[in-house]
Amino acid sequence: MRTDWEGIYLDGRTAARRSATIRLMREGIEITPAGGATQVWPYRELRQTQGFYSGEQVRLERGGDLPEILLVSDTAFLESLHETAPHVGPRFHDPGRRRARIRWTIVAAAGVIATAAAIYFWGIPALAALVAPRVPVTWEESVGRAAIGHLAPAARRCGDADLARAMDEIVRRLTAPGPPSPYTFRVSVVNRPLVNALAVPGGYVVVFRGLLEQTATPEEMAGVVAHELQHVLHRHATRAVIQDASTGLLLMALTGDVTGPLAYGLQTARTLGDLRYSRRAEEEADTEGMKMMLAARLDPAGMTSFFERIQKEEGATPKALTYLSTHPLAADRLQRLKAMAAAWTGTPEPLLPGDRWADVAKRC
Amino acid sequence: MFHGIGGTLFGIHVVNTLLILVTLGIYYFWAKTRVRQYLAGQTEMELDRFAYHGTAKELLLGTLKAVVVFGLPVLLMNFVRDVLDVPIAMKVIAGVISGSLIFVFFPVAVVGARRYRLSRMSWRGIRFSFRGRVWEMIKIFILGTFLTGVTLGLYYPFFLVDRQHFLVSHSYFGSERFGFTGRGRELFGPFVVAILLTLPTLGLIWVWYVARKRRFFWDHTNLGSARFSCHVTGGALLGLWLVNAVLLVCTVGIAWPWVRVRNINFTYRNLALVGPLDLARIEQQAQKAGSTGEGLSGFFDSGFDLA
Repeated sequence: MRTDWEGIYLDGRTAARRSATIRLMREGIEITPAGGATQVWPYRELRQTQGFYSGEQVRLERGGDLPEILLVSDTAFLESLHETAPHVGPRFHDPGRRRARIRWTIVAAAGVIATAAAIYFWGIPALAALVAPRVPVTWEESVGRAAIGHLAPAARRCGDADLARAMDEIVRRLTAPGPPSPYTFRVSVVNRPLVNALAVPGGYVVVFRGLLEQTATPEEMAGVVAHELQHVLHRHATRAVIQDASTGLLLMALTGDVTGPLAYGLQTARTLGDLRYSRRAEEEADTEGMKMMLAARLDPAGMTSFFERIQKEEGATPKALTYLSTHPLAADRLQRLKAMAAAWTGTPEPLLPGDRWADVAKRC
Repeated sequence: MFHGIGGTLFGIHVVNTLLILVTLGIYYFWAKTRVRQYLAGQTEMELDRFAYHGTAKELLLGTLKAVVVFGLPVLLMNFVRDVLDVPIAMKVIAGVISGSLIFVFFPVAVVGARRYRLSRMSWRGIRFSFRGRVWEMIKIFILGTFLTGVTLGLYYPFFLVDRQHFLVSHSYFGSERFGFTGRGRELFGPFVVAILLTLPTLGLIWVWYVARKRRFFWDHTNLGSARFSCHVTGGALLGLWLVNAVLLVCTVGIAWPWVRVRNINFTYRNLALVGPLDLARIEQQAQKAGSTGEGLSGFFDSGFDLA
């Protein structure tokens, strides 16, 4: 066993670097700096601050704010220290454990993947489902009002009275059978050629003229509105905010401190991560919207026929794409809705029997 | 000289990430401290390594303080501004308060981070320190932002140099003070050239500007009679960044530790301390430094390291 070593002694007051001879003893280290008196450092007064990784010198400090320092470049010093004084234990690093570290790192990597997946697939949706219903409706309404000001400015809204009456009737029919809701639903038709509809938090639904003109019956319009109302009722926008923020935090935890180009890459990952959540929200709005149609005794074919037509026109008219880009029509989506409609045994009651829908749909 | 290895840093990073995930983020401060300890311990100058003395508890407390002083008030004001149903005057007042807090936050964070980081760094047992006043920095920021706005951005290089001058000339190694001799007008030329050539070079000129700025900052920095010399070139910097970007994109960010090591290696390879450093004259001087600013800049990373 080797007990005599060479090292560097720093006194903690000047930048002078003095070589020193070191002797390992049972209760402490005996240090003799060049041209200085021999001193003994008891093990219990020492702490090791460097020398945990290969290529790193061993650094022992003694004292409070301005410690004296002993540096030894050979890691074998630590092995000798543990042999000379086995009782010091984990106060000093044991280089023999470095091999085990690689194994633990691999285990940790597997742990990272498992934990991140659990948080993404289960933790974040659960958190959003827990928090979203507790957000006061008045907050959502306030945010929604600001958003609606941008999406549907008053000058762009269709003010036709018959159209407004028709839309109100659709909302009334859809919401009548359900339990009372904390939201006041308002459907605005906006004079833009987009074939799209969207829900804004707080009960606002925006339908663009392009979509209105594509609907052949009031039931088709009701199918679109039912879908959007479900977004509002299930607070999908509020959930999306929570999920997006949580996904961002998760990615931050996975990648460490990120700046520059990687930050943009992360934004892409975040968007991709959110995509899965939004697809699930769309599915939920579909099935719940269909249930809403059935409960209101509206012809369920209205919902499916509209989606079917939009899907067929995909590619033919680029305008239709906007609806599909925010409402991806997975192959099974339409199938599921059709199955729900087929299983229904009720008889539909007509919607807006007095009107000719083809006229109403042109009122914008 | 830097001895760090990307693989080791990656190992540290993997274990850190697991602990961050299972502690829902609280381990972040321990993780950050561990990485800094490693990086400092792998940095060598004149045969001796640097050391990082910061503790995770300090970082955690600093961040908590920052959240209470800045984070919560800003959140609250933004909430009043965007969500609550209150008169428009209230919303305007809330917006102004939130905006001013964010504005003041930057100088406070830059100074705080620098004070904390330098005071927790040592070489040969001698601590670094930063003794500038936050208020001075806030004044530099207010003046700089105002003049930059009024001159449509042309004042910006002068603002940058003012900031750098303040940050460097209040930094100490033990009892020895760092000095900065750069003038804003020296950076003004390259800045104007970069603006003029932005379109013809599709923005690539800015890489050369960054290299020029780094050389300018370091070449005008001295410690006692020793001065720094930096010879980074735009081409080398562009090469470094391109390879880094490819590494990060191809590995979806997993190569991050290697990129970090590459960046540090690049910095030290292009940096030298020229001239005699009278070490015998330098004495230890203990300074107190809180970690609030450090916690603040953790979010924005507006602080930067000297060593």
